[in-house]
Amino acid sequence: MVILEASKISKTYGNKLNKQEVLRALDLQVNKGEFVSIMGASGSGKTTLLNVLSSIDRVSQGTIQIEGQNLNQLKEKQLAEFRKQHLGFIFQDYNLLDTLTVKENILLPLSVQKVKRKVADDKFKAVAEELGIWDIQNKYPNEISGGQKQRTSAARAFIHEPSIIFADEPTGALDSKAASDLLNKLSELNTKRATSIVMVTHDPLAASFSERVVFIKDGQIYTQLNKGDQTRNAFFNDIIKTQGVLGGIQHDA
Amino acid sequence: MTLNQLIWRNIKKNIKHYYVYIFALVFSVGLYFSFVTLQFDPAIDDASGSVKAAAAFKSGSVLLIVIVAVFLLYANTLFIKRRGKEIGLFQLIGMTKGMVFRILSLENLLLYIGSLVVGVLLGFSMSRLLMIILFKVTGVEEIATLRFSPEALIQTIIVFSAIYVLILVMNYLFIKRQSILSLFRVSSVAQQRVQKMTLLQAVIGVLGIALILFGYYLSSRLFSDLFMGNQLFLVMILILASVIVGTYLFYKGSVSFIFNSIRKRKGGYLNVNDVLSLSAIMFRMRSNSFLLTIITALSALSIALLSLSYISYYSVEKSVEKNIPYDFSMINPDHAEEFMQKLTNESIGYTEKTIDLLEFNAELSNVLTLPGVEDINAVQNSSMTVISERVVSDLDIAESEVVFINQNELTEKVIKIRAGGEIEFTGLENIYKLTLTKVSDLAILPTRITYAFPVAVVDEKIFEQMKADQQTEFSPEIPIYTGISIKDAKELVLANDVFKELELDVWAGQESKYDEKVKQKENIGVIMFIVGFLGLAFLITSGCILYFKQMDESEDEKANYTILRKLGYTQSDLLKGIQRKQLFNFGIPLVVGLLHSYFAVKSGWFFFGTEMLTPMIIVMLIYTALYSIFGILSVLNYKRVIRDSL
Repeated sequence: MVILEASKISKTYGNKLNKQEVLRALDLQVNKGEFVSIMGASGSGKTTLLNVLSSIDRVSQGTIQIEGQNLNQLKEKQLAEFRKQHLGFIFQDYNLLDTLTVKENILLPLSVQKVKRKVADDKFKAVAEELGIWDIQNKYPNEISGGQKQRTSAARAFIHEPSIIFADEPTGALDSKAASDLLNKLSELNTKRATSIVMVTHDPLAASFSERVVFIKDGQIYTQLNKGDQTRNAFFNDIIKTQGVLGGIQHDA
Repeated sequence: MTLNQLIWRNIKKNIKHYYVYIFALVFSVGLYFSFVTLQFDPAIDDASGSVKAAAAFKSGSVLLIVIVAVFLLYANTLFIKRRGKEIGLFQLIGMTKGMVFRILSLENLLLYIGSLVVGVLLGFSMSRLLMIILFKVTGVEEIATLRFSPEALIQTIIVFSAIYVLILVMNYLFIKRQSILSLFRVSSVAQQRVQKMTLLQAVIGVLGIALILFGYYLSSRLFSDLFMGNQLFLVMILILASVIVGTYLFYKGSVSFIFNSIRKRKGGYLNVNDVLSLSAIMFRMRSNSFLLTIITALSALSIALLSLSYISYYSVEKSVEKNIPYDFSMINPDHAEEFMQKLTNESIGYTEKTIDLLEFNAELSNVLTLPGVEDINAVQNSSMTVISERVVSDLDIAESEVVFINQNELTEKVIKIRAGGEIEFTGLENIYKLTLTKVSDLAILPTRITYAFPVAVVDEKIFEQMKADQQTEFSPEIPIYTGISIKDAKELVLANDVFKELELDVWAGQESKYDEKVKQKENIGVIMFIVGFLGLAFLITSGCILYFKQMDESEDEKANYTILRKLGYTQSDLLKGIQRKQLFNFGIPLVVGLLHSYFAVKSGWFFFGTEMLTPMIIVMLIYTALYSIFGILSVLNYKRVIRDSL
């Protein structure tokens, strides 16, 4: 079942004289419960892609549908409503509120939806235990490690059971141990809760945790890799190879 | 690119960014210049007509310098903090600290000169408006013309040059202290560090509120029997200290303590309003506690001063009415005769009241107490003015009784007189033992004659006896008092001219109520104007400081709004939270300041006038309204930041 469908999306910045095309008629589909990575060099448009897919930015052309809902047709308020129901976010720099404790940060998406407190507590318990942050629930973000922060951020993304989670370089600021911890948890939750994840990354190791890797170049899809039945290691090697080809200098224009 | 070009481009680029600083500068210059223009204007002397006014203006301008300097220094710290990155970059590309300092100083200089010109123009137009107001409150009927005063300009330039030097020193120290690395980090360092609530904080919180309440309690008992006499000054200091320290601790601990308890109860489940108001404020307030304490203390001071001066202005009519019961007071029967003759000639209708006065030694130990004073013999056994019931309408006094009138509100706070006791008046031969049945504030004699001490009224028969029995050593200073009132209020001015024409006012004790009112209104009017001006200046500066602070904060918190909007909060959700936050941010210092000033005014208002509530409430309402403008402006600023955050 397709949960996200982007067809022919373009995004241009700047004015008529100085136009910069970041996305060019790009097509992308994400299935329910799928874990997709988007890779590409700096400036390839991967973060822009994530922003438009996640309704934070609007496309210049083309349509994006999430759960059958066309994002273009939604007004600002409706978009906010949509985000709060269906989307979850994980960012490179955690984006936790410094003035709130871990628990308060995680419960934020539920309080937007005005979920009953009892229900909220139960959900919190479930997700916090899965991500191993139950013990630090009353600490403030500046009292915990980067890995813990990112797991808090992940818990916040999962708690309201969104249909799709967008992750922008979630491991970018983590050391390798914390990174693989996080990614293990993410793919675990991905399978367990059948929540789709779209992750932007430039780290092949991180990408190897997903089921499919989409390579972006100059605002278009360059190629895609499916993990299929391969081991993670083999998939990782594939990704490295593709990345090498992708990063190579093209001599013929 | 030369250094000069760099400076010029910097200014051009930054001018939009730092309009806050420029606004602060222009505003300060305008304020100061308009005040000094008034100070040097000859018309002011006509309005005030006394040396006192000049002195009041002078001390006012000194105070204004302090306010303006603190304000500008504060604005400058924000300004330089925001530019930390740029300063770091300059150093990174190889400029020496000296060069960076020179760039900043030159930039500042240009901003200063620009603001000085604009500010002076603004201040000049403002001072005309101010002059109209001044004439209005002092009751001087003169057309407000204005001349450009070079003295005022020079004084303004001198003052602002001094402040400029001060700011240079500050910038120099700032640059000198910073390494390149720390300059890049400056904005994050300045942010509050989130800390856990500790037990200590809870204790501080409780202590803060307790100290404030203790100060309030002391102030309410300040002029009561509890502490009188020598300790008074000590108690005042104690009140000030406990309230100010209490306020500081209140911001340091109490606010976060209260908010934290509310937050605890929510068990981690915070809605958007809580996120934006509760959690943000409890940390911010603690780190801003010093600034907030100063703002609160000074707002309280200015509200209290404004209230007191308005109380005096408001009560002029009433208090003069009390102090001089008749339109004209005469203590010399010949003068009175002369005056009345003239009034008849001018065909001005009048009524006359002649009162015979006796002076007797009175033994008051049964009715009089003096709280806090050990040796009260002198007061309990003092001379007292005695008059007959005949001259006091509506009073029927038995032969064995006496009634005290002319009770003065101020004296009442110090000397307690209870009805019911027995009083002995000692005459030449007899002693008159009379029971005090009533103490009334009915004013029959002017304060000039009674010295604010009550006057005894006795039965006509007793009065005649006492008159014949008067001790020679107690012969009254003024045996006969004549009060003359004009029947038609319209003729009062005419009568007053007659009074002055006959030069009856040169004699001590002879006064015209009308003249007294005009004189007091002039005096109090000038003081009220200066206090009002300073109060307004302070209101605006403290409002601006809070506003700047909020602007700074909104930039710091922009990232948070981004997160919240990504999570699905709408702009209006966030704005609602912000409104609540600003209600606290501006409301808490305001409410605390209002409370402080309420207790301050309440403890001693009776020295200033006869009516407390109405003038005080008027002052507080105006203050609150003006102050709210800054709150509203800051909300608008937040609205913009939230809109731009995604």
